[in-house]
Amino acid sequence: MENWFLNIAHWLTSWLVSLGLAPVWADLILLVVQWTIIVGIITLNVLILIWLERKVAGFMQERLGPNRLGPFGIFQTIADTLKLLTKEDIIPSQTDRLIFKVAPMFFIIVAVMLYAVLPMGQDMAVVNLNVGLFYFISVGSLSTICILMAGWGSNNKWSLLGAMRSVAQMISYEIPLAFSLLGVVMITGSLNLSDIVQAQHNIWFILLQPVAFVTFFIAATAELNRGPFDMPEAEQELTAGAYTEYTGMRWALFFLAEYTNLVAVSALASTLFLGGWQGPFLPSWLWIILKTYLIMLVFMWLKWTFPRIRMDHLMSLSWKVLIPISLVNIVLTGAGIELFRWMGW
Amino acid sequence: MFTTDLYTINIGPQHPSTHGGLHVEAVMDGEVVKDAIVHLGYVHRSVEKIAESRTYTQFIPYASRLDYLATHLPTLGYVQAVEKLIGVEVPERAEYIRVILGELSRIASHMVFVGSLAIDLGATTGLIYCLRDRERIMDMFEMSSGQRLLASYMRIGGVITDLPEEFFPAVHSFLDDLPKMIDEYNGLISGNEILQARCKGIGILTSEEAMAYGVTGPNLRASGVAYDLRQADPYGIYERFNFEIPIGQRGDCMDRLTVRIKEIEQSGHIIRQALKEMPVGEVRGKVPKVIKPEKGKEVYHRIESAKGELGYYLVSDGTEKPYRVHVRAPSFVNLMVLPSISRGGKLQDIIAVIATLDPVLGESDR
Amino acid sequence: MYGKGLLKGLGITFKHTFEKDITIQYPEEMPFLQDRFRGCLAFDFGKCIACGLCTKACPNNVLSFETAKEEGAKKKKLLSYTIDLQYCLFCNLCVEVCPTNTLYFTHNFELTKLNREEIKIIYHRPPELDLLSEEKKTDNPGVQVEPSDAAETEAKRIKQIEAMKMALGKNPLKALGKVVDGEEDIAILSALIATDEKKLSKIAELMVDDREKARKIAQAFVSKEKKDRQKEGGEQG
Repeated sequence: MENWFLNIAHWLTSWLVSLGLAPVWADLILLVVQWTIIVGIITLNVLILIWLERKVAGFMQERLGPNRLGPFGIFQTIADTLKLLTKEDIIPSQTDRLIFKVAPMFFIIVAVMLYAVLPMGQDMAVVNLNVGLFYFISVGSLSTICILMAGWGSNNKWSLLGAMRSVAQMISYEIPLAFSLLGVVMITGSLNLSDIVQAQHNIWFILLQPVAFVTFFIAATAELNRGPFDMPEAEQELTAGAYTEYTGMRWALFFLAEYTNLVAVSALASTLFLGGWQGPFLPSWLWIILKTYLIMLVFMWLKWTFPRIRMDHLMSLSWKVLIPISLVNIVLTGAGIELFRWMGW
Repeated sequence: MFTTDLYTINIGPQHPSTHGGLHVEAVMDGEVVKDAIVHLGYVHRSVEKIAESRTYTQFIPYASRLDYLATHLPTLGYVQAVEKLIGVEVPERAEYIRVILGELSRIASHMVFVGSLAIDLGATTGLIYCLRDRERIMDMFEMSSGQRLLASYMRIGGVITDLPEEFFPAVHSFLDDLPKMIDEYNGLISGNEILQARCKGIGILTSEEAMAYGVTGPNLRASGVAYDLRQADPYGIYERFNFEIPIGQRGDCMDRLTVRIKEIEQSGHIIRQALKEMPVGEVRGKVPKVIKPEKGKEVYHRIESAKGELGYYLVSDGTEKPYRVHVRAPSFVNLMVLPSISRGGKLQDIIAVIATLDPVLGESDR
Repeated sequence: MYGKGLLKGLGITFKHTFEKDITIQYPEEMPFLQDRFRGCLAFDFGKCIACGLCTKACPNNVLSFETAKEEGAKKKKLLSYTIDLQYCLFCNLCVEVCPTNTLYFTHNFELTKLNREEIKIIYHRPPELDLLSEEKKTDNPGVQVEPSDAAETEAKRIKQIEAMKMALGKNPLKALGKVVDGEEDIAILSALIATDEKKLSKIAELMVDDREKARKIAQAFVSKEKKDRQKEGGEQG
């Protein structure tokens, strides 16, 4: 069971080679196949995730959540997607049409790009990049440009307010996010995500770096624009923030991208702090799915419990609390590493 | 060094957190509110004019549509005003029923307030818990009158019929569970640090300003003025009950929230006392079939509604229809302080201020 | 400590996640309605004395009725009663004022209709009311007393159907006017039931049990007959 996907990949490559293709081309085709599968899995996963979020919110509020289509309403999101696909694509007349149209596409592309480096199991990263973490953070911060494009292109005051909030929020939270990961990188000595997972063979980094985990988690919630930090959307204040003018599938793309981001960041958190694909009994790819879903459930729990934080409090939380804490954490980690070396462990 | 242009955004009339058809035109400098202009009248149904074309009794169902969140209180005020006009004795039992149902309405209205404040600040689950508890009050209204939201149970000279037997166990169990519910609101909503950060020191209404604007009800009491018509000018049988008037210190959004939560408790005390002292007997006094007050007689009657001082001014011209009915709607007066207390705050603060002023647009637009 | 409130909130939502849900699955599971629930306003034709108090009490002119005064009769005779439910405030004023408890609220709350016209509830004078008074005069004085058991009800029903059949045979114009409109249609239907025994008994039965259904069936008969005649006419021509 452990090697199902790897075996399929080996079999595919050897079959392609046996057809007379050069190994380079075979690898390229394999890459394309891997990408297609990842995009397919992401889309399907988002359908499940939206259903799960609605179900969790429902149970939390003593409701039932979706329960009409299929067992436990599992097909509800599919019906919603079909509805969104058939809706009229409205582009308001005063918009900046090009920017308005490409913003959701860029958003989803950026979100999918994150998956390139995530190890989905033992030896199961699409690209085993040795600056994987760096890549993840830099690509992840691109999504704010897409939100800014959406807000600017919509030519709506609410949208623009949402977009500007998103930019301010992303700039402030990128720093504690990166800083909190530095502790892990310092212990491992590598930016390669697969190496980081390997390094957690004996002990998960959540135990070595609890403070970093908490700062990472808070900063990630802000990065993902999820409640209680859902400033760009802020339904009760900005109607729908940057997405106000979007309808139909364009709007759905934003939704898809947000959930894709959620999965990616949760997978990153489980990779960095919860030991990634490592775990007993079950195959490695199942472990990472379980850990990712656990983290996503916590994200949902927070979102459906807390009120939205105010914009200036959000800023001061980042600059006055999270950044100093993560800096102190880096210093302490460095001192700890030196101490351990000195003691000869 | 740098100057920024002001711009206006329209919060409402179609906006998720304006509690109906409220339109606030906010003049903004970035995220800071420089001025707010309240536009009213989107829910104007000419209720006062309708009253002139209906008989005194026929206006009762319209009165309950003024403040639909506390359905018994506006009808109670109207009915008592007419009773004052024609001089009718109300049986003791009916008075107690009125107090019980009126206070239940107040609790229901405050529960909606707490929940809608939570959802306006982004905490969806808080709203659902409040509505879940309010549903029990709605069930009790259904038991007594048959209607859940717009009961029109009050009648001139009493109430429609006596309360049913099943009402009493229901209200007792509700009162027993009330502290638990309040604990839950305090834990999930008012005890939450994010919510406190968004409410403390926001939208400060000083007691002087509140009195200058004529703000009444929990909004005034949150500013530190212990003015409650149930004690200041008791109507009905309110002088028989002991209860405290909770007041706030700073007059900010947080005080407006805590005052209301405490008022829920006090209303619970009043209902307990009323249930204990309730006599047996008639529930409807002797009222002439056709109500024709003296010509030229006029009366003003005010009650402490869930939102503040709700007044009815009735003028009779000797026919069976009133010559003029004016409603002093507390929501309308309370909304007028919105510009002055939201100036200088953030965009997110104005949402909290609207939510804590607790306007009901059916009442303020009439 | 800062954050205690946050944790407490998380605890509350976590606790409720595993509690029993309070949702009522409405179309499958009906909500519990209290005794006094005010659903659809309904009208009991037999009890009405056409005093008009309800129409005066109504704040919104929901109620209206038609009466006719027959020669020699003392009382006005109620012909039809209309409840225009779309304007109803469900305020209970008409129910309170009614001296004979004719108006009452049912527990039916599913009042949605597809057309505006269907919202109006119109009660027509049931023919058995006239027949009963005739019977009362002649041989059966106790017929208006509530029957005590099912057999008696059934017997009464059969008697009513027989009476209806008689009335249909004797005076088809008057009786059938209640189920079909227009003299032409009445003529067609009376010709039909004069020849066909089955149709006669069916219409009689339905007129006693369910007037709306009787009306529909009668109209169906008429339209079918009309079509047939047209066909014949076409063939002949």
